[in-house]
Amino acid sequence: MATVSYKGATRRYPGTTRNAVDKLDLEIGDGEFLVLVGPSGCGKSTSLRMLAGLEDVDEGAILIEGKDVTNLPPKDRDIAMVFQNYALYPHMTVYENMAFALKLRKTSKDEIDRRVKEAAKLLQLEEYLSRKPKALSGGQRQRVAMGRAIVREPQVFLMDEPLSNLDAKLRVQTRSQIASLQKNLGITTVYVTHDQVEAMTMGHRVAVMLDGVLQQVDTPRNLYDSPANVFVAGFIGSPAMNIKTVTLGADGARFGSMLMPLTREQVTAAGDGKVTVGFRPEDTDLVAPSEGGLPIVVDLVEELGSDAYVYGHADVNGEQERFTVRTDGRSAPSLGDTVYVKPRGAHHHVFHAETGVRIA
Amino acid sequence: MRHGKYRFVAGFLALPVLLYVFYVWVPFGYSFYFSLTRYRGTDVPPVFVGLDNFTTLFTDTPEFWKALTHNGVILLIMPLVTIVIALIFAFFLNVGGKAKGGVTSGVRGSKFYRLVFFFPQLLALPIVAVLFQSIYRPDDSGLINGALNKLGLPKIGFLIDTNIALLSIIAVMVWQAVGFYVVLFSAGMSSIPKEIYEAADLDGASRWTMFYKVTLPLLWDNIQVGWVYLGIAAFDVFALVDVLSVNRGGPSFSTTVLSMEVVNKIGAGNYGMASAMGVMLFFCTLTFAAISLRVTKRESIEY
Repeated sequence: MATVSYKGATRRYPGTTRNAVDKLDLEIGDGEFLVLVGPSGCGKSTSLRMLAGLEDVDEGAILIEGKDVTNLPPKDRDIAMVFQNYALYPHMTVYENMAFALKLRKTSKDEIDRRVKEAAKLLQLEEYLSRKPKALSGGQRQRVAMGRAIVREPQVFLMDEPLSNLDAKLRVQTRSQIASLQKNLGITTVYVTHDQVEAMTMGHRVAVMLDGVLQQVDTPRNLYDSPANVFVAGFIGSPAMNIKTVTLGADGARFGSMLMPLTREQVTAAGDGKVTVGFRPEDTDLVAPSEGGLPIVVDLVEELGSDAYVYGHADVNGEQERFTVRTDGRSAPSLGDTVYVKPRGAHHHVFHAETGVRIA
Repeated sequence: MRHGKYRFVAGFLALPVLLYVFYVWVPFGYSFYFSLTRYRGTDVPPVFVGLDNFTTLFTDTPEFWKALTHNGVILLIMPLVTIVIALIFAFFLNVGGKAKGGVTSGVRGSKFYRLVFFFPQLLALPIVAVLFQSIYRPDDSGLINGALNKLGLPKIGFLIDTNIALLSIIAVMVWQAVGFYVVLFSAGMSSIPKEIYEAADLDGASRWTMFYKVTLPLLWDNIQVGWVYLGIAAFDVFALVDVLSVNRGGPSFSTTVLSMEVVNKIGAGNYGMASAMGVMLFFCTLTFAAISLRVTKRESIEY
């Protein structure tokens, strides 16, 4: 158990102009479950590997429990990692896989046995201890990889997309298992994923990255409710938020015939002419034509049973813009219909048209 | 349809099988037959003598036992030394580099070394033998002895000293074979996922532990194949011994091997004895291959 701090940590691959990870500043509390999320190539895995010591830190520092580990080799950092492809030792049994690290530290036989058995029980691997990895299913291998990390009782757990090789159902199941396991063990965990649902459901806090730059770190709730910029707004939430850059009027943003009211402060902060406004598909209502909604021609309806997602386009200030709306599954419109969409209450998000930064 | 498929396959196989039978099995059959006869290779037909040749071989042919012992010594030393050296080189070429960050990088210039190590493999064995004749030459004109002389050290009779002549020849075999096995093991090592090395690194494995506990077991299939190849090569050292050794297997039979003795017996016009030795060589090689495949058998590795 320990705290982890990235202090301006930077990784630059030779021969590239842009930093893979650029001046990352991040404080992770003792026992916290922090998720690094972002599209592929955003530097989340690199950040994790820097913490593991598998990747050099070109600038800045990384501290574990206040101790500078920037130049320590991986084995001296007291961390355990679960790899995407699990990286189990194929020539060792499940038991040997889990015992390997302990054996290398000259832990007594009894102690190794106790800890491996304990982890195996926790992960329901008891009956597989004498098997080789190739005789296990994907989910079982994943649990062995977890077990190998657990028996170490490390200061920090690192997980690099540990669920991406599982099928959808098993992934959901394992997701909650990992989250509750982490809660029980109370070990500081850094978890990398590209799946925002995983990030939102598992993390105490979520760090969103793009192009090597940290965009926002916050609780899942806050990320959803007040995204710091346009990228986070579009990345978090599924289907993605409707984000449009439109003409700014004196009292709000003009979506063609519809006016999205903004406060005086927001109008002032947005500057001149343009403003970026976003509203989530789930924060909209389909209304009668007389209620002043935005008229949208339906292109596609996705029926999910309880809900339906309506994809359509509208003419906004002379441009064809696409919109997504969530509606009740039982009263979904048909293809080609024109529906009137009205964002609900004050759930819309306002961003600066140039910088993309949130305007409160 | 099914019938037609077999005819189709048989059509492709017929010619190779025919060639194989004619050029491999028929000579084998003849050897077995000649080994039971007295035959001088002239127009006098072979005379059937039963197992007489084998009796003579076992009881009254000291050079046969010497040759067999030498093959045995080569079999014990050469594959082991070759594989150990090749493994060490391959490890340095692939994962022996800088410890931090990229765990799997080789030492600096590893591509160049890989090429250089492979050079001896490109030379034909008799050429290697001729090359080493001048390296091993016992007087000042020898590459090694010339250097030793300049340093004021005593000369070494690599090929004329009965105590070290065989070892000198084994050294040449190792020198010639290592390159190929470096490449073989390198290929094996590069197919090991780098995450496994990273996991071992995080688990606290040192360089040596990583080699011993991870690389070696995962390369076992390759090592096994190498062992069998080299073992079989140990039964056929003819080209090297023929060209390199003094008096074809000398001095005083100190470097002779079975294949050399077979040729010597043919030279002496004793085809029956030569064939009997050939048959012994056949069984030795077969036994070795069978035993080594059985002993080193392990379940295959999947990543």
